[in-house]
Amino acid sequence: MNLAVAIFAGLWFWFVSGCWGYTFHYVLKQPLVMALPFGILMGDIPTAMIIGATIELVYVGMISPGANIPADECFAGVISIPLALLAGADPETAVVLAVPFGLLGTFLDQLRRTVNARWAHLADKYAANGDEKGLFRCAFTYPLAAGFVMRFPVVFVAVYFGSGALERLLSYLPEWVMHGISVTGGVLPALGFAILLFVIGQKMLLPFFFIGFFAVKYLGINTMAAAVFGVCIALLVVLISNQNKQELIAALGSGDSDDDDE
Amino acid sequence: MTEAMQNEIKESILTEKDIRTAYFRWYNYCEISNSYERMQTVAFCYAISGILKKLYPVKEEFKAALQRHLNFFNSQGIWGSSLLGVAAALEEEKALGKEISDETIINVKTGLMGPMAGIGDTIDWGTWKPLFFSIAASFSINGGIAGFFICFLFALVPFLEGWYLTRLGYRLGRDAISRLLEGGWIKQLIMGSGILGLFMVGALTASNVTLQIPIAFTMGGTETTIQTILDSILPGLVPLALVLGIYTYFRTKGQKFGRVVFFLLALCMVGSLIGLF
Repeated sequence: MNLAVAIFAGLWFWFVSGCWGYTFHYVLKQPLVMALPFGILMGDIPTAMIIGATIELVYVGMISPGANIPADECFAGVISIPLALLAGADPETAVVLAVPFGLLGTFLDQLRRTVNARWAHLADKYAANGDEKGLFRCAFTYPLAAGFVMRFPVVFVAVYFGSGALERLLSYLPEWVMHGISVTGGVLPALGFAILLFVIGQKMLLPFFFIGFFAVKYLGINTMAAAVFGVCIALLVVLISNQNKQELIAALGSGDSDDDDE
Repeated sequence: MTEAMQNEIKESILTEKDIRTAYFRWYNYCEISNSYERMQTVAFCYAISGILKKLYPVKEEFKAALQRHLNFFNSQGIWGSSLLGVAAALEEEKALGKEISDETIINVKTGLMGPMAGIGDTIDWGTWKPLFFSIAASFSINGGIAGFFICFLFALVPFLEGWYLTRLGYRLGRDAISRLLEGGWIKQLIMGSGILGLFMVGALTASNVTLQIPIAFTMGGTETTIQTILDSILPGLVPLALVLGIYTYFRTKGQKFGRVVFFLLALCMVGSLIGLF
């Protein structure tokens, strides 16, 4: 079973990190999503889902606005989920395992984007010859083929040989290191949320961040409730701020023809 | 929103199917060949190549068209697809004999790719992503599989959004798209999704960022911990300060993710070693 799991993990990481489908591949990158096939393969769906969801929450705020990715949740999940399941570890230990791999994974993505420059040069040549099929190979075939070499072996080896090494490592590591990584797992989401604040946070709207924060702290609402209230508040504010602005309705109604007649 | 445009009699070579093929190619391939050198340009060129081939039967013109779409291009996959529509509309006009220079086409793409990426980052990455994935995680944290399916909303919703935007870009053309960016409803959309996004980020910070300072000491005869005192002042003070601190760092020093990751790791390890956390 070990072999099958390791091959699956390697193939999943290769295919998903190839980025086929702008948001589709991103869904497959999520630890929560890969948890289901791992759970099916290893015969323990509930545990896999719990581990996947726990790791997911570490990375839920991580986005990369035009820059390098801050952490690779796919690399983290594709190694830590099967290893945690094999070792019968609890979700917290799985997070401890996921965090270092999530950080290492960023280097693989930088490697990919560096290597990909090669295909841009090739594409120049194909474009000059009007070769559409060549362009397709530069946009699809070559990057994915190169990705296989960069991605499959490292995950395969980590999962196939990892479970034995992991148990030994966990018994050797001093308590403070384990605890330190565990604390990092609790702190790392802060980075993701700070990035989100940075990307979407117009200063004027920052109070809504505090409303959301204290709604959970004082009122104890859960995620789904936060989403429901969040949508209502957003609609309320937008609608009120538009009460006297007919141009919104006009713009929604007839597109571009009305911008000048205010 | 496009009735006014539809009333115009528009001479056209391209069909709905051509635009759809280009968008499918773009959505599927826009990140595969992403490179540091020219980012998403190979994907853009390939996505529009089918359209160019149809528009320019003369081989030399086709080659030139391909080459002008190999300049640096980097936007956000969903909102950037509106520029695929705009580029298709411009190329069509050019093929129909209108005076449109190569520079015009390149400049429209280069000028709008940044603003489009900004909107897309706010709406798709800043709002949809944490919204769908955090709800999904809350459905699976006890072992259920519902979260698996909820995650796919993030594939579906932005995909449809991009398809709409591609057609919008094609139908409105370059001037209308530029005006759209300054117009009312996009601003409302950004404000609304910003409010929802910020509210969710606040909620998620409260429930997912944990940092405890369990140092115990005796005060007035009773044993207490620093954490107890902090909680009595303001619940979640440390996580809140942490997020706001990193946010302030980004605002003043730019997006230095790597440094922050390293700092957090070092902080936690040292804190763990000396028994602070």
